[in-house]
Amino acid sequence: MKPRGKNWSRGLTGSITAFVLAAVAMVYLSYALPRLLPGDFVSAMYASSQVTLTEDQEAELRAYYTQDSGFPSYLARIVTLDWGYSYAYLTPVSDLFFEALPWTLLLLGSAHLLSMTVGFIAGVEAAWRSGTRTEKGMVAGMTFLEGVPEISTGIVLLFFFALQLNWFPAVGAETAYAGTTGWERILNIMHHLILPLGTLVLAYVPGNFLLTRNSMMMVLHAPFVRTARAKGLPPGRVRYAHAARNALLPLVTRLGLRLAFMITGALVIERIYAYPGLGSLLFSAIQARDLPVIQAVVLVSSLLVLGVILALEGVYRIIDPRIAHAH
Amino acid sequence: MHIDYRHVMRDPWFVTGLGLALFFGLAALLGPWLAPFDPWDMSFDPISAPTRTHWLGVNDGGQDILSELFHAVRNTVVFGLQSGLVALALGVMIGLAAGWYGGAVDTLLMRVADILLAVPAIMILILAAALFQPEPWVLALMLSGLMWPTIGKAIRAQTLSLRKGLHVRAAAQIGGGGTYILRRHLLPEMFPLYLIGFAGKARMAMFMEASLAFLGLFDPSRKSLGMMISYALQFYYLDVWWNWLLPPVLCLSLLIMGVTFLAVSLEKILDPRLRIGMEART
Repeated sequence: MKPRGKNWSRGLTGSITAFVLAAVAMVYLSYALPRLLPGDFVSAMYASSQVTLTEDQEAELRAYYTQDSGFPSYLARIVTLDWGYSYAYLTPVSDLFFEALPWTLLLLGSAHLLSMTVGFIAGVEAAWRSGTRTEKGMVAGMTFLEGVPEISTGIVLLFFFALQLNWFPAVGAETAYAGTTGWERILNIMHHLILPLGTLVLAYVPGNFLLTRNSMMMVLHAPFVRTARAKGLPPGRVRYAHAARNALLPLVTRLGLRLAFMITGALVIERIYAYPGLGSLLFSAIQARDLPVIQAVVLVSSLLVLGVILALEGVYRIIDPRIAHAH
Repeated sequence: MHIDYRHVMRDPWFVTGLGLALFFGLAALLGPWLAPFDPWDMSFDPISAPTRTHWLGVNDGGQDILSELFHAVRNTVVFGLQSGLVALALGVMIGLAAGWYGGAVDTLLMRVADILLAVPAIMILILAAALFQPEPWVLALMLSGLMWPTIGKAIRAQTLSLRKGLHVRAAAQIGGGGTYILRRHLLPEMFPLYLIGFAGKARMAMFMEASLAFLGLFDPSRKSLGMMISYALQFYYLDVWWNWLLPPVLCLSLLIMGVTFLAVSLEKILDPRLRIGMEART
């Protein structure tokens, strides 16, 4: 991989513009939508909620939503983490958010890392064995898995491994009040992570596998692969050092294209395993009609997704230098 | 570009997918008449096991689970079809316009597409659903407005390659105008892409519907597979797994599998260079 030269940034300005526009659109939506609501929505909203507000709290909330100090000050409040106050938890929204964020990052980060690695290696090996019975079986199995939604996998795994076999805990990210530290705590967290992580990996691997296999099949017919083989290089080297590097590109593109959609499944999985991440926070906020929390989670997590996709764009440019020269 | 239908019918994935799709299509169509009880009738014994009269038992609210299931499948299927069809129509129109007219139109439309691709649709839907509690079809339309870009981009790419084709140039030579060529040549020629795009988007929409319902964002009286799963899960410590939790989970899986298999097999049968699949499918 060559060091990034001047060309690395070429064409990147366009994508950055698109992302900034998307971010502004999201922020503006979250600003404008609540203000479109007719009449006294604070009373209406909390009438159907599990939280009872005192007069003072209600007045404060109404003031929060009706003080129309304009879009710039709304932006300023977002940047300064002044996201309002949750009446369900009696805590500032930003505290709730940053308490939940690390768990979601841990779950999603490891799920994507693991499923890309597994899907990639399995895809490369399958393409190499193209036409054999192993390959056909792998493709059939993965196509089948591709059709199973996360909700179903999650519930089946929960039933068998947590409730029937009791191998893994059914709820939470670590044992509450266990007071463990150091290695013990890390093991405890891993133990809790396995089921939600497994569910997401089962959901993400098939797509990565099928894509890698397909692009690998095309790469394997390229003249440079024949040359590498003719040189007498060991098959493992031909596969990974020569061919598979090219099959890696579509994988990164795909993650960028699908990340925004993949968030959906992760929300549901957190709720199934009561994993204390942003998905669970959002779920309980929806149940309690806790509007400031819903707003903050929706907005900030969307901005985070935008940031990750933009970063992937940069990664893509590093692993495919052609992109920078294409313009 | 065309599909050899005899070839398609020999693909086991396609046949399985078609079978599942037809089965659920029928269940959705006839659901309200096949349901043995009114799914909103709360007069039965809460949380009772399956009996002769209540094949899947009764839920915590005293409602017949089988009847709920029929209505839930119908709602999920309808949501998926609505959203998929509108997304397809938007994607085809925008893709054709961008590819055919090019220039500023193309740049503008594709920038919008890039922006929409990066925004998590579920977040916008959650915000809208939590604030306004709109009708399901409004959410379905919003979802279409957010998920047309993959179809649009695929159609645009295909339009760009087709417009250089001999037959299109010939049609232009004999004096065919833009609209004529679009309608007469490009629109019908890309038909297989529509099938793949539609299957992909319908799948995505059904998954979204189930997720939104699971998170409790629809009107609680609207029956939905996601909501049934969510409610049943609250009673996981009771013996509700086989009669209450499994049926909606199974229906949702088979439904989404059916559509996925159709999309995967159509994609495989078409020219492998038309790789819209991976992006358009989910």
